[in-house]
This record gives sequence, structure tokens and C-alpha cells, in this order.
Amino acid sequence: MGIAAASVHTEEPVRSGAAARIVDGVKIYGAGDTAVRALDSISAEFAAGEFCAIMGPSGSGKSTLLHCLAALDRLTSGQVFIEDVEVGSLGDKALTLLRRERIGFVFQSFNLVPTLSARQNIVLPLTLAGRRPEPGRLESLADSLGIADRLRHRPDQLSGGQQQRVAMGRALITQPALVFADEPTGNLDSKSATELLEQMRATVDDMGQTVVMVTHDARAAAYADRVLFLADGRIVHELTSPTTDSVLDTIRALGE
Amino acid sequence: MWRITLPGLLAHKVRYALTAVAVVLGVAFMAGTLIFTDTIKNTFDGLFDDVYRNTDAVVRARQPVTPDANFTNQRHLIDARLIDDVRSVPGVAQARLGVGGYAQLVGKDGKAIGNPAAGAPTLGEGWNPDAQSMEPYTFVAGGRPPANGDEVAIDKHSADIGHLAVGDRVTVLTKHSPRQYTITGLVRWGTADSPLGASITLFDLDTAQRVLGKPGQVDEIDVMASPGVSQDELVQRLRTALPDRSLEIITGAQVVEEGQSGIRDALAFFDTFLLVFAGVALFVGSFLIFNTFSIVVAQRMRELALLRAVGASRGQMMRSVLGESVVIGLFASCVGLAAGLGLAVGLRGLLGAFGIDIPSSGLVVQSRTVVVSVVVGTLVTLAAALMPAWKAGRVAPVAALQAVSTGETTRRIRRTVNGSIVVVLATVVLLIGLYADVPHRMRYVGLGGAGLFVGIAVLGPVLARPLGRALGLPLTWVGPAGRLARNNAVHNPKRTSAAAAALMIGVALVALIAVMASSTKSSISAVIDSSMRADFVVSGAGQMGGQSGFSPALQRSVAALPEVSSATGLRSGSARIGGEMMMVLAVDPTHVGDLFDVDVQRGDFADMGDTGIAISRHVADARHLSIGDPVTASFPTTGSQQYVVRVVYGARQLAGDYVLPLAAAQKNFSTQLDFQVYIRLADGVAPDVGRRAVEDALAAYPNATLLDRTEFKAEQEAQIDQLLGLMYGLLGLALVIALIGIANTLALSIHERTHELGLLRAVGMTRPQLRRTVRAEAVIIAVLGTVEGLVVGTLLGWAVVLALKSEGVTTLSIPFGQLLVVAMLASLAGVVAATAPGRRAARLDVLRAISRH
Repeated sequence: MGIAAASVHTEEPVRSGAAARIVDGVKIYGAGDTAVRALDSISAEFAAGEFCAIMGPSGSGKSTLLHCLAALDRLTSGQVFIEDVEVGSLGDKALTLLRRERIGFVFQSFNLVPTLSARQNIVLPLTLAGRRPEPGRLESLADSLGIADRLRHRPDQLSGGQQQRVAMGRALITQPALVFADEPTGNLDSKSATELLEQMRATVDDMGQTVVMVTHDARAAAYADRVLFLADGRIVHELTSPTTDSVLDTIRALGE
Repeated sequence: MWRITLPGLLAHKVRYALTAVAVVLGVAFMAGTLIFTDTIKNTFDGLFDDVYRNTDAVVRARQPVTPDANFTNQRHLIDARLIDDVRSVPGVAQARLGVGGYAQLVGKDGKAIGNPAAGAPTLGEGWNPDAQSMEPYTFVAGGRPPANGDEVAIDKHSADIGHLAVGDRVTVLTKHSPRQYTITGLVRWGTADSPLGASITLFDLDTAQRVLGKPGQVDEIDVMASPGVSQDELVQRLRTALPDRSLEIITGAQVVEEGQSGIRDALAFFDTFLLVFAGVALFVGSFLIFNTFSIVVAQRMRELALLRAVGASRGQMMRSVLGESVVIGLFASCVGLAAGLGLAVGLRGLLGAFGIDIPSSGLVVQSRTVVVSVVVGTLVTLAAALMPAWKAGRVAPVAALQAVSTGETTRRIRRTVNGSIVVVLATVVLLIGLYADVPHRMRYVGLGGAGLFVGIAVLGPVLARPLGRALGLPLTWVGPAGRLARNNAVHNPKRTSAAAAALMIGVALVALIAVMASSTKSSISAVIDSSMRADFVVSGAGQMGGQSGFSPALQRSVAALPEVSSATGLRSGSARIGGEMMMVLAVDPTHVGDLFDVDVQRGDFADMGDTGIAISRHVADARHLSIGDPVTASFPTTGSQQYVVRVVYGARQLAGDYVLPLAAAQKNFSTQLDFQVYIRLADGVAPDVGRRAVEDALAAYPNATLLDRTEFKAEQEAQIDQLLGLMYGLLGLALVIALIGIANTLALSIHERTHELGLLRAVGMTRPQLRRTVRAEAVIIAVLGTVEGLVVGTLLGWAVVLALKSEGVTTLSIPFGQLLVVAMLASLAGVVAATAPGRRAARLDVLRAISRH
């Protein structure tokens, strides 16, 4: 633990304009002797238009952090804000609508509904809301993701990379406040992974999209603007403008 | 392999439990029927043994021909004075005169007790004061036997129903005019309040002979042996002493056996009826079992492949799945057996509601019942699991390492061909049963029907895609939930159609019965419209072939009214004509033309006389008979009699194939009662005036109901509706099983799609939306099954109605309104079936669902 964590802790984060914030987030699984403190008073902020990666060894709490930030799971104590909306006070219905309208998801697997075509999968959040995409929105999105000619196919007729790009399309279609990606490249070959990461980078650069990505892969993390390192439920380091080498160095340093 | 089988079962407790419910219901029905009928048989066997314990021999008239087994004991009477000859035979301790016939009591409220037209018989008998130990009846304390022509004793059951007590005056209807008697006592039949719920009126011997039979004549002489004389020995001695060939002398044991087998015959119909429904329940259930195992095998593909990869053989895989089915089958059969005990108690109550009184005693569970229930339940489960087990054996080990596609993979062409072959074969078998002249036609019909269902179930997946897409179309207009549901239903047509198959069968049977009933009703209506010229019918006391009816005095008093131009009664009796035992009608030929239009083609009823016979065109053609030809009829009472064809008529729906003159009935029928009386008013008499006059004349006959044509039609239709109600009630069972099937399929497919549902929730599907999706999918499945069932059932009904044309069902009538109600109920039921799975899906923990493993 040679690296100071002081820079991570911001004083009273009231600054508005952040896409998402977590304040003193604590998550405890189980109770009594078997209780596990998955998040241990974490505070962090994700600025609009930022591409942030979260790294850490297995069990460090990075998936828990993502689930809580994405309003999929509730904190034991502390607060999560999505665009200054306090998530903990919302009921299931409001949470669902928040996810539908303001959050996009890309998972490692089980990412698409097998009975729906690529097009139907992409517009699914809009369909659920009873809306239609703005004219041209779907087409330009599919174009920029390179899947314009695949829209009529079903998931089992697409390659893994294409499936993840469809998933990206679905995450972006509602123009959400932020996109959460959980090991998006975990099941992809390196070429598909590179393409997907470049696309994610492009959405941040070109559309000002906020992306939070959990990953194991230093090469993937290097695409981000900033990398948060977690261990034992705490943020132990932060790296801005990472490269593959600086990420690997940090991991090595933290491991000692 | 059990070490793999049992954990597999325990891991999927709930889904297997749901599957087992189908088997439980079928087995419960079967076991309940067996236990119930065994119990009744046992009860009555005991009662007969007890009641006849002092009867060692019976002397009665021999039947020249034996009528079909039924409750009607059609026999000539014998001379009562024979009892003196009997008493003089050595070894005879006592002898008793047996006199019986129709007698019906009228309760305190003025209503006739019992309905012999639909329920247990109403009987009168003579009481022998000097052979009391041989009487089947025992007096309740406080009563005494009837001693003169003004007194009767009645059974306790009727006394309870009619609120009658010792000392009361009671009206008794017999073949003579109704009259009143004083009740001197109440009797029981062995330990029962009455025999099978029949009402009993006991007269003194002379009165009994006069009002039930003929003075000086009796039905039989019952004999009790002296100590040390066996039944066989007694019969031998009686036969030597009474060499008259027209007498039949049998042992008491034979009489007991006759009575017991009479009960068995009476129950046989009920028995068969219920067992058919048990069969339907198991058949529908087997679809559910097949479906569950198929889904479970598909879901466990990876696990099974892993087992294969580590060295399990194909046979072991199959045995593992079959082992599961055996465990489920055994378990469900045992539960079903237990449930059957409860059902047997319920059935007793049901019969009681029909007026058939069954003394309560312990339930009889024979080892046969246990063995049959468990074996059948287990075998059905095993058979339904065969295909899925075979598929489990075919899982390639490499599947463990690959992503498993859940989509449709079966070659559709092969499926279409196979299904079509089954459908065609089944249709041929069905048509053979319906139209060909083969023995056991109903078996062909049943086999063909079942085959047809299987064939359509095989074709189901092929049909499910286009049908599901079309039927789901309206749902897509409602919103995203409907669209997703339709996609799900169409994505796996095999599963969708399998879930719908069970409902298809249930709905098809309902539609079949609805079409048959509706056609029968409109045919009856048409016959009454075309063949009946009478203005009124008196009915309600008896039925064709029964032992009860109206005293001929009723017809005479109505015919004597100035408002009535003609009135005639219909009588019936058994006769063997042209080698066939049948019920034949007899009517006063002089009034036939006024009251009926049976489409007389040759001859005239006026020429019939006492020795003429009218025959249908159908029989005239088949037997090459024409006017003037002789026809021989053999009666159980009088033997062979010659008649001459005087009339050939076209309409056989109302009259059957042969009609005898009234004189023939008086001479040869054992029962001289009219089961219906047809009345035509005199010209110029207004219907309401005529009705009032006839009703006044009928006031003395509380068992009579006066019906005009419209009411008569309604009465006939009501009889069919009553049967229909019972059928629907039982078919409801099949529908319940079908609904469990849909719920089960949905639950399984939700389990399988946990990740997908989690994903939908994560990207913004609300709980109500998810519930709606599940519900919409259930509706698509239900509507699919309903539509298939309605089509199949209506076509089947059409075929059956066509086949019944010669039986008098001449009009095809499809009850569209009724079928629409069925369709709506079935769809609604789909929504109900989706409730639990939908709630479960909505409660799904999003995080858990999308977590990777």
C-alpha cells in the first residue's frame, strides 16, 4: 500500500453536472459472523462525458459497485445519485423507469433477447416505454456501430462481436446519462474486443457519452480516461490517462 | 443410475410435483370409481345374502326367451294354489307367495314419491303373515303388517321423504285408480331403509294380487327347507312334485346371485362412464408429462452431455430419465389412490342426490384396485416419458462444451409427414367405428379419436408457428408485452403446441359433446314437429321398457272428457323379433292416425286388429317384408306369437321398428301401464279450455305431468341437458389438467429464461409489463389449444352425428354460441394459469438473474 489514496476522496461532493455519484457507499452481504463488507465507505464521482474503467481483483467489490451505481442493487448505507437523483429513495417502478430512460447496459453474456431481431433488441427500451425511435436515430446508430446490414438477424445468427455491438446499440438508443459495461470484452476474441472498445471510445468522444466499465483487461482499461482500482471494497488508487503499461504497473504495485 | 436419478428429482421438486398432479387426478378418478363400485357391490351382496337367508328355493314361471339384463323381470304369473302342492313336499318347512308390481306413494305434500322414470323403481308387494321369517322386510318398532284391503305398510326411506307416519292415510297409485290406505307400519329392507332407494308399499296378500297383478295369481313361491335338507335336494324334490314344464324351480343361492348381478348390471354403466373419464384424464395428463420431461431434458442438455462426456452410456441416460418417471408415477399413483378414497365418498353423495340411497358401510379397497391404480398410473407416466428419455440418450457429449440452442431443430417435413400419416390412419379407424358393421364399434371410435389427438399433437409444432403468429396478432396491437409474448410463443413452437395439446383435447371433447347434444336436441324437436299430431302428452311416471307408468284408468278418464277427441296410451315390453331382443311399443291402433304422423307408406292402422303389426320401412326393406307377410315375436312371458304385417311406416325415430296393437300388449306384456298418454282435443276446443279440463281429470294422479308440444320438446331436451351437465362436470377435470399443463410449461420456460427476463428487467421492463407478457403468452397458448380443439371437436361431432343418422339424429346443429362461450372461458383460463408463473417471473431478482452463473 505504497500509494496514497488522498486524491480519491473529494470533500462533500455537492458539485452538480456529474452523471453519477456514490457517497459513503457501504454494501454488506449476509449478517453476523458471515457478513461480507463488499463496499466499504466508497465515494466516487463520474463526470458527464467521461469514460471510466474500474479494475480490481476478484472479490474487490467492483461488480457490486457497478450494480449499485446502475440501480440494480441497493446500498446498505450511503447514497447513489444518477444525474443528482438519489436512487435509494426510489421504488421498484421508478428504478425501472430510471434504468429504462437514463441508463444503458452492456453485459459479458446473456446480453440479447434470443427471440428478437437485432433491430428489435436495439429499440427494446423504447418499445417497453411504448415509444418509437426518432427518425434516422436507429439507422445512424447502427451505421456508427457497423451493424447496419445485420438489423434483421436474430442473435444466434450474429457473431459474438456483432452481438455486443447490438448490445451497445441498445444501451445507447435512449441517449442515457451513462452506460454501464460489465466485462463487455470478456467473451470476445481480441479483434472483436478492439473494435468494440474503439466504438465505446468513439461514443464518448463523438457523442459525449458517459461510460463506466468494469474490466479485468489492462488493454481494455487503457481505452478509458480514468481507471479506479478497488481492493477489499475500497478505492485504493486512481489513474488518469492510462496506458496498458501504466495500468499493468499499477496492478503490479498494488499486488505487492 | 439411481444415484443420478434421485438428486435430479429432488433438484426439480416443484416442476415434477405439478406434473404429478395430472397423474394424481387420473388415478384418483380410476381408484375412486373402483372403490365406490366395489363398496356398493359388497354392501348389496351382503344385503341380498341377509334378505334371502331363509329362501332355499323359488318356484316361478319359465321365460320362453330371456330379456336383456335389466331391472325389469318380465315373467308370467303362476297359480297361487300351487303353494298347497309345495307345502306338501317333504322337506319344505315354510312357503311364501311372492307378489309384486307397480305401486307409487303420494307424500303429505301431494307429490308422488320417487321418480321411476329417472331413478329407483317404486314397488308394491304382498305381505305373508304365515311366513314372516322369509319376508325380506322387517318392521320398525311400533308398526304392524297390513291386515286388510284398507291398510298398507311402507318403507322407512319413503316415509322420511314423504313425511308419512303410522296411522296416516296415504294415496297409492297402482294400475287401478288411485286410492287411499291407512299406514300400519314402516319397514326396512335388511339393514337398509329401502332397497337401493326404491319405494316399497306392502299390501295384504289378497289386495296385493288384485292391485299389483291378478287375483289368484302370484309371481313366485319362495320355499324354506326343513333343517338338514340342502337347497339342491329341496329343488330336486320340488321338481319331482311339480313336473309342469312351464315352471322354473331354482335354489335360493341362484336367486341371490340374480339379484346381485342385477345390481352389478345397474352399476356397470356408471362404472364404464366414470372409467372413461379417468382414461380421458390420464390421456390428457400424459401430454402434460411428456411436455414436462421434454422441457426438463432440454434444459438439462448440458448436464446430460457432461455425464455422457465423462462416460455415461446412452442406455444409462435413458434409464436415468425413465427412472425419474417411474418414481414420479409411483408417487403420484399412491397419492391418487388416497385421493380416490375421498372421491368414492363423494360419489356416494352424488348418487344420493339422484335419489339412489346407498347404506353407508366401510369402503372396500380390493388389492385389485391398488394394483390397477398404481400399475396404470406408473405405466402412463413411463410411456409419456419414453420419447424425452430417448432424446436424452441421444445428447451428444460435445453439447456440454457448446452453447445450446433452444430453437426449433426438428425437420418440419418429416414431422408433417408423420403427423399426417397418424391423422389419416386414426381417421380411417374412426370411420370404421362410425360406419362399418363391426363388433365393438365404440372401441374403434375411441381408438380413432385418441389417435386423431396424437396425430394433431404431432402436427402441432408445424401448426403452432403460423397459428400462433395469427392468433397473437391482436396482442401485438396492445403493446410491447404482447409482441414479446407472441415472439416467445412462436420461437419455440414445439413447446407451445405441446402445452396447447392438452387443452386441445379437453376443448375438443367439450365441442364434440356440445355438437352431439345440440344435434340430438334439434332432431328430437324436428321429430316431434313432424310426427306428433297430439295436442298434449301426459308424462313423468315411467319410461319405455320400465316397470312403472300410469294406470290405464288415467287414459280412460281423459278419453271420456267431452273436450277430448282421442287419447291413447303407449305401452312397452321386451320381445325377440327377427333374432333381436328389443323394446317394442304397443298402441291402440284405432287412434294412431289422430295422434301421430309416422309417415304411413303402405296399409292402414285401422286394419291392424288384434293380430296385425306395423313395421318400419327400414325393416321392411332389410327383411323383405310387405303387407300380409307373417312376423314372429317371442315374449319372455308367453313365448312365440304370430303377427301379420298391416302397416309400413317411414318415421322410425318416434316409433322404432315395430309397433304392436294394444291387444298384443295386454296378452304378452308383463306390465299393463302406460308410460305416456297422448291427447288430442276435440275440434273447436280452445287449448286453455282443453288443458283445464284434462288437468282436472289428472288431479287424482300426482305422478302425471301434462305437457303441450312446446313443453314436451323442452322436457325431452332437458333430459339431454341433464346428461350434458354431468359430462361437462367431468370434462372440467380434463380442462383443469390442461390448465395445470399450461401453468407448468410457463413456469418451466420462465425458469429457462431467467437470464433473459433479468435482462429485460435491467433494461427497463416494469413488473406489470413482465406479468402481462407471461399472461399474453398463456393466452396465445390457450387460444391455440382452444381453436385446435374446437375445429377437431366440431369435425368429430359432425362425423358422429352423420353416423347416427339411422339412429334418429337427422339434423346437424352446431351450437355456435355455446362454442364461443367455451372459447372465451378457455382463454380466460389461460390468464388464470399464468397468474402464478407471472407473479414468480415478476418477483425475479434482477441481479441474480443477470449474474453469470
